Amino acid sequence: MKKFLIIEDEILIQQSLKKLLERRGFEIDVSASGKQAIEFIINHDYDRIICDLMLQDISGFDVIEESKKKYRPKEISSKFIIMTAYNSPQVLNRANSYQCRLLNKPFDDLEQALKIMVE
Amino acid sequence: MDNKPNSLKEDIDSGKTIFIDPQIILDFPECDFSNFHFLNTKKPDVSLLKNNHQLVLETSDGDRTLFPYFLNNILSLLKINLSSTHQLTQDAFESFLKTTQKTEKKIFSRVSSVSNRNFKDLWDEIIKKINSISSESQSLNSLMEKLLNVPFLQKFESSLLVLHLKGQTKAKLFGVILRDEKTQKLIEVKDFNNLFHSVKKSKIKSFSTEYFMKINLPFNGSFLAKEIISKKYSLVAMVSRNDFLAYCKNEIELFETCIDLLQPHFERLIEQEFSDKKISELRTCLKDFPIPVRIKNIQTGTYFLSDFYIRDIPDKDIFFHKRLKSNFIIDLFDCDELRHYAFDLFHFQRISLLGELLNTLRHELSNPLFGLKLSAELFEQMGLDQSNSILIGEVKKNIIRSQKIIENFSNLYQIQNESKLFSIKKLIEESITLSKSESREVKKSINFGMNTEELKINVPGIFVIQILFNLIVNASQAMKSQVYRPELEILISRSLTEVFIDLIDNGPNIPTDQSSQIFKPFFTTKSQGTGLGLVLSRNLALKMGGNLEYLINNKPTGAHFRLTLPIS
Repeated sequence: MKKFLIIEDEILIQQSLKKLLERRGFEIDVSASGKQAIEFIINHDYDRIICDLMLQDISGFDVIEESKKKYRPKEISSKFIIMTAYNSPQVLNRANSYQCRLLNKPFDDLEQALKIMVE
Repeated sequence: MDNKPNSLKEDIDSGKTIFIDPQIILDFPECDFSNFHFLNTKKPDVSLLKNNHQLVLETSDGDRTLFPYFLNNILSLLKINLSSTHQLTQDAFESFLKTTQKTEKKIFSRVSSVSNRNFKDLWDEIIKKINSISSESQSLNSLMEKLLNVPFLQKFESSLLVLHLKGQTKAKLFGVILRDEKTQKLIEVKDFNNLFHSVKKSKIKSFSTEYFMKINLPFNGSFLAKEIISKKYSLVAMVSRNDFLAYCKNEIELFETCIDLLQPHFERLIEQEFSDKKISELRTCLKDFPIPVRIKNIQTGTYFLSDFYIRDIPDKDIFFHKRLKSNFIIDLFDCDELRHYAFDLFHFQRISLLGELLNTLRHELSNPLFGLKLSAELFEQMGLDQSNSILIGEVKKNIIRSQKIIENFSNLYQIQNESKLFSIKKLIEESITLSKSESREVKKSINFGMNTEELKINVPGIFVIQILFNLIVNASQAMKSQVYRPELEILISRSLTEVFIDLIDNGPNIPTDQSSQIFKPFFTTKSQGTGLGLVLSRNLALKMGGNLEYLINNKPTGAHFRLTLPIS
């Protein structure tokens, strides 16, 4: 069974996504804080990490930077999916530099978004 | 005058050190002695001292020569002692010397027939006084004020200067009347020219205020006037005793000489006050500034006025007062234009504040709303029974509506001033949504007249929404707790070129005596109102080429506003 980590501090979003993905047959860990997420990433092996950018403690980009200790750039670009409500040019540039996929919040189409997460 | 002994020249070589008595420097502050070497430690070669109102020249070997205490003599003695390094100062001194000598010659040739000792004393005193007042004066204003302290002018009460700087559209009159009452105003150039030429042509230099009715001089009676013209400006100086008596020949001559003597000082002060580049920039700014403004330099007491400052405005009309760090006080005076601009500013601030608020709101609300929507969608997918799925469907609909409202508003505020094609219907609906919190209990009916429902107009949408929002909120508040069933009717009709949006409520009528006032700033009947909403709304309507009016109806209740907008 594929294992996902969802990093999102808005609990309603976090839990809804968790349930939606579990219903599609995935095992889901969640974290509301960036630091805890880094611990999870170091100690577990996730097939996919869905990461919000604006966290309470650190930014999603910091989480990705820390993950570089464990994963090579290519793995980062395939594992991480960035979620953000602020798609400013700076954010887009930075996300591009990791070659990660980007999901804009709120999702225009839930099914489409879920498809991107699981494929 | 020339009491200089011949032997002096041989005694003093150029380049020697000179000691100048500090008292002399104090007595003639208009002379710049700073280029001389002041040596206190070493014994100077030559000393210029003041002793019992006499000028003493003392050489290092103890020779003392006495001279009358005249500036002229001081300058001559210094001139002889100047070293070549002070060439520039020497030139300046020489030119100063020339003008002084010339005027002195002039006056003494005139009074030579009188040739009495008293007159000479008076003259000395006048020169001294003029020298001291002109050097004390930091501004033309204070110079004119102090002019009345010159011995023979002591019976005069008014001293005024009308100054026209070349290229300016107005001349400025300023000075004192009744000895200590300051006055100033602007004068049309053609009136100034008329005055200037009359003064120039006149041989006796005495006039009466009644000849210059157009200028409306701030005093009455006869006056003496003398004109000065230079490359940069022309001016008329005038003094008056504020009576109707004629002036005697002596007075006229003394006055003329006085003004002649002051000419270099006028020059200097005008230069100082008007030629400074920054000040001229300020003047240019003020020239077109559409609000009466007065900028006062606390140090010099000079004023800068905008062209709109046409009369003496009482201080109670000061709308805005600010003291700057740099010794300036700025006063803006109340006027329609100021109100107009203030509203624009107010409106701009309001819009930007609203924009900021909306941005924050959007960021803060969009995440939770997104969470709500996701969970609703989750429930939908979980397969609920019919009643629950209807419920969740409604939840989702409401979330989407909230998201839409937020999105619409932030879009609206981003393109606030841009004219775009907006559907009238959409704008009205948007305004109603916006005002829901105030107008919840009000029953609203919208009636579109012929060819209006699909009508689109090219306007800044936010302007229209703001006006309608104001009107709806006003009506709702007026009806609140006054009417059992508050109702607001919105009627849309059109002509070929205009669309009319009429808002008619069933609240209390606006009393006829107040209906003319409601569009005046700060008029409000609400305890919490600013009295700006309607003014702002009308300004916005006018800006779009439309109008906002209150229509007086003959019904006992209900207010009727009409917003007119052009169909592009």
